[in-house]
Amino acid sequence: MLSSEEIIRTVEMLKNENLDVRTVTLGISLRDCVSANAEDLCVRIRRKIQKHAKDLVSACDRISKKYGIPIVNKRLAVTPIAAVAESLGREDYLGVARTLDQAAEEVGVNFIGGYSALVQKGFTKGDRNLIDTIPEVLSSTERVCASVNAASTRAGINMDAVLLMGQAIKETSLRTAERDGFGCAKLVVFANMPEDNPFMAGAYLGYGEPECVINVGVSGPGVVKKELERAVQSGKKLTLGDLSEIIKKTSFRVTRVGELIAREVAQSLEVSFGIVDLSLAPTPTVGDSVGEILQCLGLDSIGVPGSTAALALLNDAVKKGGAFASSSVGGLSGAFLPVSEDLNLSAAVHQGFLSLEKLEAMTAVCSVGLDMIAIPGKVDASTIAAILADEMAIGVVNHKTTAVRLIPVPGKEVGEKAIFGGLFGEAHIMEVRNMNRSSAFVTFGGRIPAPITSINN
Amino acid sequence: MNDWIFVSIIGRDRPGIVASVSRVLYQNHCNLEDLSQTAIRGQFAMILIASTLKEDVLRGLRSDFQELAKDLSLDINLKIIKPGELAPYDAGESEPFVLTVCGEDRPGLVYGITEVLAERGINITNLDARVALIGGKQEYIQLFEVDIHKGLDLDLIQEKLRKRGQEMGVGVDLQHREIFRAINQI
Repeated sequence: MLSSEEIIRTVEMLKNENLDVRTVTLGISLRDCVSANAEDLCVRIRRKIQKHAKDLVSACDRISKKYGIPIVNKRLAVTPIAAVAESLGREDYLGVARTLDQAAEEVGVNFIGGYSALVQKGFTKGDRNLIDTIPEVLSSTERVCASVNAASTRAGINMDAVLLMGQAIKETSLRTAERDGFGCAKLVVFANMPEDNPFMAGAYLGYGEPECVINVGVSGPGVVKKELERAVQSGKKLTLGDLSEIIKKTSFRVTRVGELIAREVAQSLEVSFGIVDLSLAPTPTVGDSVGEILQCLGLDSIGVPGSTAALALLNDAVKKGGAFASSSVGGLSGAFLPVSEDLNLSAAVHQGFLSLEKLEAMTAVCSVGLDMIAIPGKVDASTIAAILADEMAIGVVNHKTTAVRLIPVPGKEVGEKAIFGGLFGEAHIMEVRNMNRSSAFVTFGGRIPAPITSINN
Repeated sequence: MNDWIFVSIIGRDRPGIVASVSRVLYQNHCNLEDLSQTAIRGQFAMILIASTLKEDVLRGLRSDFQELAKDLSLDINLKIIKPGELAPYDAGESEPFVLTVCGEDRPGLVYGITEVLAERGINITNLDARVALIGGKQEYIQLFEVDIHKGLDLDLIQEKLRKRGQEMGVGVDLQHREIFRAINQI
């Protein structure tokens, strides 16, 4: 039997602490759709997505009502299109992307990830075609998300890919200038990209994944923040060890919700249950911010000295609690710092507390990387590529995932705001110091070798 | 088979009631099989089921309970249970849900909500009501655990309950019990 306290505590988490399931992402393999004929490939892709995803939204809605838990996003992830469309010519890639866009719209999801290539060690013809068409695709589709894995601990950093991606980000931004470069919000460059990530824009279905699989992203920082706030306000003498315990227990609770929903959706759609991603993904809502958690831990703002240590504590506690709660943890699983999607982070940039360099340092201890950062439109492609390379190096050397989602905002400068709307929020443009000073480095090209720690067999 | 008995005891709460009741049962060769006890605002209530280990113990039991009721100013009722009455209510193929009603207290609230349940044959397995801090505000909250037959339209029940809640100025949520278990229990 449940105790009244347990029921009341749960009601409180649901009503006032933004407890929800952030995303239910259905991975669909497109490997059996491969064809040398573009039209044929598109028909097969559309048919396969229709077949497996037609009931995704209705199943999520039904299960959400049954348990009284909001499922915020329903999304799709597919096999990297660079491989699926390998036999086609460059001119056919846009058609494939439009098919993905249309199929996603037909089944009622807001994003589909997998316009992707894995090029950490080099390119195939399909990889080059895919990267070359990213700006065109992101500016002419609504729901398609692109991602490129440019580095790994095993392979090192493909600097040719890094430079190409610097150029792709710049061009995508210019092609979506009227929306403050919004196309770049749908583009991520990775090191050590996970195959089962349910979060956009980096979701895709890896080659080792099953035919169809449900991956779930758990609730955001709101629940953790409220628990910490309650403990701090109780007046008890607490150490950081005590606060870490509180985060751990809360993470356990939210992960159990994710696991329950993931299993039920998977069962309902008769597909495999994959993983629960433990990432604390904020939303542009007051009370649902990673920055606010750091304030609960005693810092005036995210970005001040102590932020990296506090974030390390947070990330570690979330993982420990989550790992106990779920039999299958995967994806990115850490704290996200998407600047435009987190009101508190965006304000910290505006107030001068948070700089690009501090964010970079923090990404060494949290999951993802430089995420949803608006930068001046004038920043050149080689500087963007150099920032990508720095972030890739952190991931490669530390055996972890890092990623970059930078948004150069055409015609806007530091002090101005980029407005993306919805979950993407709005962002104060962040200063990029020392522009145009890295082009010789990035144009050397080739591959930065894998670190010695990668030889571990 | 010897008789099984059902006893209900209510009265002003104080130390020693459970000891006195169980002494009477023990001395009259009864074995406690199931028991539930609670106290609200100083009022004690207990129900129990006991099996009798010897024949013809009922007369002694009744007389001892009468004496106890007089001594401790309690209302004690005793009845014999037929074997067929020992099985719990069969809600058919059903799933457990938790219904929470949250808002300002007012007369008729429990009736208003339970009427919707009763009309659909939904059985209440547990009920509690208390004042709790929700979102920094003191709220009156009622918690019902109910079994809902799988054949019933959950959407329709949720809609009816929400509507009834709106009419009465309270928030009503009906959620599968598993979500509470998942969040709170290992």
